[in-house]
Amino acid sequence: MKKLTKKTNRNLKWIIIFLIPVTVLLIAFFVYPIVYLAFLGFMEWDGISAMSFVGISNYTRTFGDSVFQTSIKNNLIWALSAAFLQIPLALVIALILAREPRGWRFLRTVYFLPNVISLVALAMLWRAMYNPEFGAVNFFLSQLGLEHMTRNWLGELDTALPAVIFSYQVYIGYFMVIILAGTMSIPKTFYEAAMIDGANILQQERYITLPAIRGIIVTAGTLAVAFALRQFETTFLMTAGGPANRTPVMGLYMYRRMAGLRYGQAAATGVLLILLGVVVLSGMQRIFGKSDAIEDAHQ
Amino acid sequence: MRTRKLLSLLLSCLLIASVMPIFGAGAREADPEIVLTWPCIWVGQDSKADMIEKIVNEFNEEHAGEIRVIIEPQPDYDGYEDTIRTRLAAGQAPDIFTFKLSPTTAAYYSGDLLMDFTDDLTQDGWGYTFNQGNINASTIDGETKSLPYEIGFTPIWYNTELFAKAGIDEFPRTMDEFWVAADKLKAIGVVPTSQMTGGTNSWTSMLWFTHLLGSFGGPEVWERAWDDPAYEQAAAILKRLYSDGNTTRDAIGADAGVSGGHYQAGRTAMFINGAWYIGNIRENSPEAYAATKLAPLPQAGDYYGHQVGWLHTNLGAANTDDPARREAVITFLKHLTDPENAKRVSLDAGSLLSIEFDLGPEDEIDPLQQQFIDAGNQAEFLIDHLEASMPVDVVYEFGQAIGAMVLEDRSPAEFVQMLEAVHD
Repeated sequence: MKKLTKKTNRNLKWIIIFLIPVTVLLIAFFVYPIVYLAFLGFMEWDGISAMSFVGISNYTRTFGDSVFQTSIKNNLIWALSAAFLQIPLALVIALILAREPRGWRFLRTVYFLPNVISLVALAMLWRAMYNPEFGAVNFFLSQLGLEHMTRNWLGELDTALPAVIFSYQVYIGYFMVIILAGTMSIPKTFYEAAMIDGANILQQERYITLPAIRGIIVTAGTLAVAFALRQFETTFLMTAGGPANRTPVMGLYMYRRMAGLRYGQAAATGVLLILLGVVVLSGMQRIFGKSDAIEDAHQ
Repeated sequence: MRTRKLLSLLLSCLLIASVMPIFGAGAREADPEIVLTWPCIWVGQDSKADMIEKIVNEFNEEHAGEIRVIIEPQPDYDGYEDTIRTRLAAGQAPDIFTFKLSPTTAAYYSGDLLMDFTDDLTQDGWGYTFNQGNINASTIDGETKSLPYEIGFTPIWYNTELFAKAGIDEFPRTMDEFWVAADKLKAIGVVPTSQMTGGTNSWTSMLWFTHLLGSFGGPEVWERAWDDPAYEQAAAILKRLYSDGNTTRDAIGADAGVSGGHYQAGRTAMFINGAWYIGNIRENSPEAYAATKLAPLPQAGDYYGHQVGWLHTNLGAANTDDPARREAVITFLKHLTDPENAKRVSLDAGSLLSIEFDLGPEDEIDPLQQQFIDAGNQAEFLIDHLEASMPVDVVYEFGQAIGAMVLEDRSPAEFVQMLEAVHD
């Protein structure tokens, strides 16, 4: 017993030594910025002059801004699209590829490819594709005799947000790979037994695959929603929040405040973005995962 | 066991050591050569890039072993402004940089982040090499903490070949004539104007709006409140410019590349930009370049013959307590703003600069640049554009307000209200 305690103490010493670097980094680049962000949210600061305490006026001003309200709504639409469009699509593709049809490895690479291409490059590519004068989307519609459906996809009120969100669906490959890895780890014998019992493919997926990868789906969903909530680049590059303030997201709203040298209000927006993330992701965990999703994924 | 322990200890030290440079950044070794970094927007495809690089290289050769200026390429305009803003907010002003002086960026002058050139400009007549109006515009509370460099001057560009094809003999003098000309252009399949709401400032449309505002409100219009009728009148015409095929289908959401691209390709007949665009159009679209003439805006209100002109780019530098470093910065800036070097930049790129220089008979001036100079000389008055006159929030909102006015059919009065709402 004494020997065990001594060994535990020795291990503890090494655990602490090895944890020091990552703890230092975590405090410097995560804890400190969040604390500073919260502090800055109560200040008025142009980035150059001295700060002054303004209480909660940055928050009241932000909440009172209709563009901010639209930004929250858009962030939630992004999150919903991630949860109910991106993940189901990724799941369907993963289930198909898990059956190892001909060329599945090639298709897996193709679906994953957008994730290794710069987000900026892809946003610019989509912007060009959506161009009403020379873009590929209108060109194909015209070729199909659907000229009446051609439009300024990023410049019209009804189509701008859906067009930006649609362009983001090329990133399903990331979630597809996560789900595929989980699906392919299910023992083949389960399916063989099910086939002997007369289960068709849909029944096999319904009663074997989906329950087995439930935790992974929740994890992928959590990641997708988190990515959607911190959305900035695609919106910034494709519409910059337009037309007529229809497509802004909270990240863009925060950026605009910084560009106007209103760092206090930008920080308050950042705090609200973090809170929104906490609420949405906790809600997801409550609804979809009784226990920790990541833990589930590893079970 | 002993080896494992030793290895573990070594790994721990390595891990800790790997993060140390993050905290030790900024420590400089003593070096006799002073190195100045210049995050520079005039790189890559920019028309001034080649000559600026040449001038910097010449300076580095002349001061080898003493001062070296390193250009940090930053080809994206919005990204460049973000970089400068962030570095200033972090208290780490670049050694040398450029910025647009506006009601928002005037905040850069507060504190002691920027080097104050006020005394330096009085020595050796350096201050007199600049246009004095521009020096005054760059002086806030008696302190000149940035040097005027490039002037923005943006008349209406029009394609004379397309005008001729449409049967238009001369550029319209009034807005009534303008709409007649627009109809004639549309009749031959040419879109009358380039417009855009994209980018951070809706550049082309922002300039159209400013021209219109000058015509309705005169030279002092920016000093008036938002309820002045000039704003609404200018907005009404801007709305019409976005309607009835008077601009391209992609104008809502388009950026400066699209707006300029339409003009260069001959799809639009009228466009607005500054002299810095001469190098671009001359190289990429010689036909459009050759056919281009400049004009003031047709008379929309009480005023006619004005131009939109402002201080476009200022040179700033990081303040320093090190006299040698300060001297090095001043030496370089004197080299860069030397009238002879300014002339080289201006003639090569077509840009108009704040630095005054003499042209000799051997100097070949670009014909389009000459038109710019003539237009400037003939201007009844100059008016700053919206970006130079309003806080950045108003500038951002401008494009969104156009979108609302055109797509949601909001009235010009509502357009003005949108701008007023974001103006503190």
